[in-house]
Amino acid sequence: MTDLAHVDATTVDSTTIVRVRGEIDLSNAAEVRDAIGAAVPDATTSIVLDLSDTAYLDSAGIAMIFRLAERLGYNRQELRLVVPPDAPIRAVIRLTQMDRIIPTHHSVD
Amino acid sequence: MTGLAGKRGSRWTFGARSRRDLVRYLSAVLLVGVAYYVGARMGLTLSLVERNVTPLWPPTGIAVAAFLLGSRSLWPGVAAAAFAVNLPISEGALAAAVTAAGNTLAPLAAAVLLGRVGFRRQLDRRRDALAIVFVGALASTLISATIGAGTLVVSDAIGSDRLLNAWAVWWTGDAMGVLTVAPFLLCLPLFRELPAWSPARWLEAVAILVVAGATITWAAQSELRALYLLPPVVGWAAWRLQLRGAAPTALVVSLVATWSASQADGWFARESVFERMFTLQTFNACIALSSFFLAALVTERNRTAAALEAATVELEDRVETRTAELSAANARLLEEIKERFEAEEQLSQEEARARREHEIAEILQRSLLPDRMPQIPAVALAARYEPATSDVEVGGDWYDVIQLRDGLIGLAIGDVAGHGPSAAAAMGQVRMALRAYAVQDPSPVSVMSGVHRLLSHLAMPEMVTLIYLVFDPATRTLRFTNAGHPPPLIVGGGKSKYLENGLAPPLGVTAEPDYMEYRQTMWAGSTLLLYTDGLVERRRESIQLGLHRLVREALRRQGADVDELCDGILSSLIEMDHVADDVALLAMRPLSVAGRPLALTLPAEPRVLADARRVLRQWLRDSAVTTEDEDEILVACGEACANVVQHAYATAPGSLVLEARIVEGAVEATVRDQGAWRAPAERGGGWGLQLIRGLMDSVDVDRTADGTVVRMRRRLKDAEHGGGG
Repeated sequence: MTDLAHVDATTVDSTTIVRVRGEIDLSNAAEVRDAIGAAVPDATTSIVLDLSDTAYLDSAGIAMIFRLAERLGYNRQELRLVVPPDAPIRAVIRLTQMDRIIPTHHSVD
Repeated sequence: MTGLAGKRGSRWTFGARSRRDLVRYLSAVLLVGVAYYVGARMGLTLSLVERNVTPLWPPTGIAVAAFLLGSRSLWPGVAAAAFAVNLPISEGALAAAVTAAGNTLAPLAAAVLLGRVGFRRQLDRRRDALAIVFVGALASTLISATIGAGTLVVSDAIGSDRLLNAWAVWWTGDAMGVLTVAPFLLCLPLFRELPAWSPARWLEAVAILVVAGATITWAAQSELRALYLLPPVVGWAAWRLQLRGAAPTALVVSLVATWSASQADGWFARESVFERMFTLQTFNACIALSSFFLAALVTERNRTAAALEAATVELEDRVETRTAELSAANARLLEEIKERFEAEEQLSQEEARARREHEIAEILQRSLLPDRMPQIPAVALAARYEPATSDVEVGGDWYDVIQLRDGLIGLAIGDVAGHGPSAAAAMGQVRMALRAYAVQDPSPVSVMSGVHRLLSHLAMPEMVTLIYLVFDPATRTLRFTNAGHPPPLIVGGGKSKYLENGLAPPLGVTAEPDYMEYRQTMWAGSTLLLYTDGLVERRRESIQLGLHRLVREALRRQGADVDELCDGILSSLIEMDHVADDVALLAMRPLSVAGRPLALTLPAEPRVLADARRVLRQWLRDSAVTTEDEDEILVACGEACANVVQHAYATAPGSLVLEARIVEGAVEATVRDQGAWRAPAERGGGWGLQLIRGLMDSVDVDRTADGTVVRMRRRLKDAEHGGGG
């Protein structure tokens, strides 16, 4: 894992919560994707990507999340995002209309 | 006679000291007497007239030989025998005694005279041959002839008219006796004294004697005058065998000739007594003279040849010895040269090895130092390493700058005690260990403890001093811990401060050091200086003086950029052409951006994107931009930079320039490159440009052959920046 971002995951029943802390950009998007994939068990049916502590997200990161959602969909796994209203990345999510394609919540709860 | 051979001198005198010597003397006298008597009896048988005219009188020769070989003190034997011989043939005892006295005096005189002229009984010189003939034979026998003939006349044995005749016969008889018999007797000891003959030589000697005997016997019996055949035979003997061949041959020849003459055999029968006498004596004289003379001549010549040969041999020996000495000296010299050459070669090899070691250590050390400072947007960095100019010593000084997560910067400087390749290698290990620990956990205490544990396990003999700092550009805070290293210095704005806190013992000294973390904030415009002791230490001088000097020189240059600062400090604190110890110097200055336009030039690589954002974020914060503006401007600029990194330099690496300023309440940001930029829309997704346009008020992409410039502008929300909403 790069110094730029850290990925950790918690699985409760069939739901896995993956938290990404740090920054996602061109340099580490692929690594973050792989880290998320590795953190998600096959038995999980619902994945929550918590971006509350994500300080930076660029177009490479957006593209990565779209592809992740697509791939999980093949496995009948559902992806949801958590983006708080005051998150630094909220403008990026809004501008790319990601919250319209992927179910997005303000908090994990 | 052989019993007396070689016994010369006066050993047999009456004064003989021992009884044994007396017995030996009397035996010798008796032997000489007997020999004299026997020789006389033989001589009488050779008489030409009646019984008293003898052409060859051997006893005189025997007496001369006895006196020469033995001693003149043997004369009583001669005298007694002569008296015994003459008594029956003389007119009374008195006449016999007088005659005997003459017979004794003649050989004595011969012996004395020969001794005077330096006669050698070996007869090996021409003068010896002449001496025996003229002194030994002809001169001394005048005595016996005169006395003997006179006695004959006086005693009326013969008439006075026959005096001359009797005298002549007596004289020639005695002389011939000496000439033929004495050399033969004198030659006998030579068979023992000279090198023995080989069997072939003995055969030759016998052959010569047989030929000589046969020839003279035939010649004497013959009616022809064949005596002239003998000289060649005697010459042969003299030539081949010298005295040992000539004397016996001459004796045999003379005896046979004399015998034949006395018997009036053959050719002698025709002659008168006088004629026979004359012929015989001249013949005998010729034989004796020529044989001895020739023998002496040949002996001399042989001796000369032998001497010459010996000289040659000696010369050869000397040449050989000298050559051997010379070659030994030469070999010694060569050996010395070789040894010296080897020593020199060894020396030069050792020098070369030392030089090589020095070079290896220096290359090793340089390879272990960062070849260039990392480009960290938040700080300006410069470093110098000056190896000791001393020909053998390469130290273990080192420094390192490590980019850590969250924009933290790790700084380290250290000194491994000792010199040469092992110190340089140890330094490399410490540096790598420190890097690994710092990336794992940047905390100074954690890093220092880790390096300490590693060194304990490595059982590294060298002592290591090390200071490690973590700098956070966002807060300009230093966290550090120090293991025995000279304190870092912060200078700037007319102020200076040594970071003397947190000093622990050098690594590898104590078992369980208690490392402590200390903090220091760098004030605006300040510079951090890390160095090794070579910079401040001088022989016979307190280190405090060096530390004061460093402060003074650093303050003098506080306005210069970090490279000029380093060069200035080095040149003023150390003699560049004589660096006693290695010197490492590292300067770090946080970039102050507040209130000034931002200008960053970075390599267009993915890893610098985060750095660029960090600097930009710091600048935006320093410029009191709201968090929302900060986040969104950051994304817009980040996208523009990412596009450069991803697309501008497809073939060759290049750089990326990010500039930002605040103009009339708006942020104007420019991202430029020198490559072939393509609009984000031209690749799949097109999120990038969409984001930039969505986040900024205006976006202008200016694409030329020299590169692309993206100009972005966003009005800031806060009215304090002078712009309207």
